[in-house]
Amino acid sequence: MGGGQMCRRFYWLCFICILVPLFLGVAIVPSGAAVIKIGMKEEPKTLNPFKASDTWSRNVVDRFYESLYTREPKTHRIIPWLADGYPEYDEATNTAVVRLKKTKWEDGSPLTAHDVVFTGSVIREFKVPRYYARWRFIKEIEALDDYRVKFVLEEPMAIFLPRTLMTFIVQKKKWEPVVAAARKAENPLRCLLAHEVTQPMGCGAFKFVKWARGAYIRIERNENFFATGMEIGGKKVGPYVDGVLFKFYGSMDSAILALKKGDIDYYWASIQAGYLKDLEGDRRFKVFKNDKDGVYYLAFNVRNPPFSDKAFRQAVAYLIDKDFIVIRVLQNEGQRMDNITPPGNGYWHNPDTPKFGKGMKRKERIKKAYEILKAAGYTWGKPPINAKGTVVRAEGLKMPDGREVPPLDILTPPADYDPHRAMTGMLVQQWLRGVGIPASSKPSSFGSITQQVKVKREFDAFILGWGGLGIDPDYLRTFFHSREDRPYGRNPMGYHNDWYDNIADESAATMDETKRRELIFEMQKFIIEEAPYIPLYVPYVVEACRVDRFTGWNEDLDGVGNGWSLFFIKPAQ
Amino acid sequence: MHLGKFILIRTTQIVVSFFIILTLLFVLFRVAPGDPASMVIDPQMTAEDVEVTRALFGLDKPLYQQYLIYVKNFVKGEFGSSFYYGKPVIEIIGEKLPNTILLFTTSIILSALAGISWGKVIAWRRGSLLDSSVTVLGLVSHTLFLPWIALLMVWVFAYWMNLFPLSGMITPELWLNPETGITMKVLDVLHHMVLPLSVLFTIHFGGFMLIMRSSMMETLKEDYIVTARAKGLTERQIRERHAAKNAALPVVTSVGLSLAFSINGGAITETIFSWPGIGRELVFSVSNSDYPLAQIAFLLIAALVLVANLVVDILYAYLDPRIKY
Repeated sequence: MGGGQMCRRFYWLCFICILVPLFLGVAIVPSGAAVIKIGMKEEPKTLNPFKASDTWSRNVVDRFYESLYTREPKTHRIIPWLADGYPEYDEATNTAVVRLKKTKWEDGSPLTAHDVVFTGSVIREFKVPRYYARWRFIKEIEALDDYRVKFVLEEPMAIFLPRTLMTFIVQKKKWEPVVAAARKAENPLRCLLAHEVTQPMGCGAFKFVKWARGAYIRIERNENFFATGMEIGGKKVGPYVDGVLFKFYGSMDSAILALKKGDIDYYWASIQAGYLKDLEGDRRFKVFKNDKDGVYYLAFNVRNPPFSDKAFRQAVAYLIDKDFIVIRVLQNEGQRMDNITPPGNGYWHNPDTPKFGKGMKRKERIKKAYEILKAAGYTWGKPPINAKGTVVRAEGLKMPDGREVPPLDILTPPADYDPHRAMTGMLVQQWLRGVGIPASSKPSSFGSITQQVKVKREFDAFILGWGGLGIDPDYLRTFFHSREDRPYGRNPMGYHNDWYDNIADESAATMDETKRRELIFEMQKFIIEEAPYIPLYVPYVVEACRVDRFTGWNEDLDGVGNGWSLFFIKPAQ
Repeated sequence: MHLGKFILIRTTQIVVSFFIILTLLFVLFRVAPGDPASMVIDPQMTAEDVEVTRALFGLDKPLYQQYLIYVKNFVKGEFGSSFYYGKPVIEIIGEKLPNTILLFTTSIILSALAGISWGKVIAWRRGSLLDSSVTVLGLVSHTLFLPWIALLMVWVFAYWMNLFPLSGMITPELWLNPETGITMKVLDVLHHMVLPLSVLFTIHFGGFMLIMRSSMMETLKEDYIVTARAKGLTERQIRERHAAKNAALPVVTSVGLSLAFSINGGAITETIFSWPGIGRELVFSVSNSDYPLAQIAFLLIAALVLVANLVVDILYAYLDPRIKY
């Protein structure tokens, strides 16, 4: 076959494929159906709720399963959901009784206390990662009758309501055979987590229809959703859409084009600043900017000098110009952080934590850092402030014991992984060098950083971030408790403080929310003062939605991509 | 050496090479920094959860034990389960590989056929305007920056002209419609293939064409071409039956290896076009230390390359009677 003949056939094939849209336009589902099309960056890994830990899997799985309690939109107040009223807690016996509403699974069978007991028992028996920590202190769980569950706690735990009772509930009937088979396996937990859920059975607002691997997931409205018609936060719960079609877009470019073309109505990811101008000028879109539930921070290895010295850490805190980072690195698409708990978490965020260097100019920062270090006993061969009071390049910084401050590495992710953190590392390097601290930013692969930081715990400083902190601030306890100073622990900095350990433990055992809030506020103020972490910034979550197609998006912490949006959105008139 | 003996010796070499690659892959992934458990940055995961997860993955065992389990499972045909998906890697590869073969292998075949055809033609008309222009075109297309050309084509043909889908392999709305027949579904897949296939064709065509042209020009200097002309054969007959067959040998090697490597897909192409192939999974598995998935994917590529080499060597014996084993 000649090349010409081959090429002609290829051109014919292309021509046929160009004609295809004319036929396809007839075959496509009528656009009258109120199905919202949501783009996601990646496909879910699993529909198994015990296994699903990545964002993409949870985006889908969370549509099927509900919990005894949930958080009200915007206020984040905990409200009964599958439960009927709040737990009846007996402090004397550490017992709580929870009543259930009379609700149904999507197959019409009743959701009972036995399902709740089953779910909790599975998590405890198999020690399911991510969930076991919120159930380990439950000594007993028992169904008193079909609609009452009794929990016996080993000790009072503040996370009982916001974590334990906000765990998803699975249907006992569906999962009992799976659990029975897992118990017989060589590795029961692996068997449980490896179970492939092909037809999720939930009680959520949506039910599963189909998953075409690599292409889409389709879910449809659950007509028997128990919360339909309930008034929450001044709005009536739907859902008002017939279903959701999840599509997958690997690159932001194709996702934005899909939004503009109408292939999707919402892209479930934060949009980079470069695309915003295009979208903001288009009436079909509304761009939402919300606080992210996270924090990006600089952390120190406080086991070794000079970072073991609080004065040194505070001097570093003064040198960092967070506003500069927000303006220049984030292009104003974020805010400075002076607390671990983000400002968007209104109830638990203490606005009165120390704000090192806020509003200071560069010269003032250097002077302040110099004063702190000098008062702490640090000396220089050539100090950063000369006799005339002018800022000069410092050299030969020595610790109070006379040793030179050793070269310090600041580990950051590489620019191709996160350009913001990589750039921030470079800036911090320069600011620290301004007072003679021999710092160097070391962009490294993510695996290398986690290996150094979490496993070996051999590092000087690093810049990483947390996302999905959650409303409940129990992480403040675990991030800085001395117990967590161990391989894979959440305190790789090696921070030890008895006072903090005690107040953290007290906050964990305080069931009275008002009192707990006071303790949490004290913890926040203390830890910022101590500075084993310097919170730097948090980027906004910037999203765009086709408001000419759907309106009623619920803006909240971490953006409009949340369950409440899907309960409230309606087709645009 | 008899061809049969040659095949036997080469097969033995392939098996040995394969086991060396098997071991190297194991070592390389284990010495690379970070393990799948340590890379989980989730405030809800306690240190105990991480230890449990490591035990689930078998990472709590000593390295030599992990290696022995790995080799034993491989020999038994058990390739393990993905750390992230939690399901057998062979299932994951089974889902994604056909999509990669459909797109990437097709692009190699089409670009090879077109490249060989054009290479023949322009070498025959060397020095002409056609030769110069197509050679330049081939050079330009071969050196185009793939992400740039891909995005440009998406923007022009899919967004601006609305002739093709923006991404993906199928149109969900079409496939969800129970009335859609198999013909429409096939056309839909073809429709989605056009843009990524065109991009890959553009990138690969130039390379094959230039190799063929170069090889053809060497062949045309041979005495038997002069003899063929002297015998009164037509130009077409000389080109197709005498020159092209001999000139095709280096191209056969290139095509054979390209076909083998096409299995690894192209992470960039698959990302831009959201094509559900193995390329992106490979990148994901390496960057997230999903050892079982990454190891099997690389082993598959290694196996195909080794076998492709053998097939090419055998083909040589048929294409070129001078070659004897």
